[in-house]
Amino acid sequence: MSEAVPNFEGLLRQALAPVDPPEDLAQRLESTLTSITELAAGELEAWELSAMRDPRNWVRPAAAVVVGGSAGVALVILRARRRIR
Amino acid sequence: MAEQHTRKSKAQLDEEFSELYRAHLRDVYSYSYYRVGNHHDAEDLTEQTFLQAYRHFERAQRESDGRPLRPWLIRIAHNLAANLYRDRSRRPASPIEDGTPLADPHTTEELVEEREELSRILSGVQELPDDRREALIMRFALGMDNREIARALGRSDGATKVLIHRAIKQLEGRVNE
Repeated sequence: MSEAVPNFEGLLRQALAPVDPPEDLAQRLESTLTSITELAAGELEAWELSAMRDPRNWVRPAAAVVVGGSAGVALVILRARRRIR
Repeated sequence: MAEQHTRKSKAQLDEEFSELYRAHLRDVYSYSYYRVGNHHDAEDLTEQTFLQAYRHFERAQRESDGRPLRPWLIRIAHNLAANLYRDRSRRPASPIEDGTPLADPHTTEELVEEREELSRILSGVQELPDDRREALIMRFALGMDNREIARALGRSDGATKVLIHRAIKQLEGRVNE
């Protein structure tokens, strides 16, 4: 049976050709990632000079990264919900 | 000094994450598209994959020992897709949207035949068991080798080689029925 389809793997490669992401997805994603990065970096900038030497404040910059990540996820969820509506 | 180290590390991590993103956006999108079967869900899956990857990037780099991070990215997409279907309690409801490019068709008749054949193959891929379908997407849409696929699926290299071989044979048999 397999002789009926020569070079089956070649056909499979054609059928599963890579798919380029839509241009607006790339722009949107880059913008979201930039926001997250800047948000976390801003938090760090604001705190580092005055507070970093106090061990009680060390948890804050780490939290900024987590908050940034959560905010990004929240943005995506909100966007997804908007689309559904 | 501690602050400088923190700042430099973060800037460097962000730069390296940007490189990872640029290098693999198409891979993650292709995987997502063939996994979920439509552009709308593929976009959401791609976004969520990179956001989750960003949050765990530092640890992944530390634990990768210098190995490529593509299998790790695809594994994130794989897990998110599994959650998506668990939440919706279903697999892709419709065949993959038609958008497959054709390679150098010669005549209208050949073009139609080729399109039908590729369409049958795509439908066959969608009907394969999950692990076989995933392995074929990684091999043929993303061009991943056995070792990369093994890491993405959490299997041994040997088991992955067998999995891919069986997937191709099963699909070929189904298409030729």
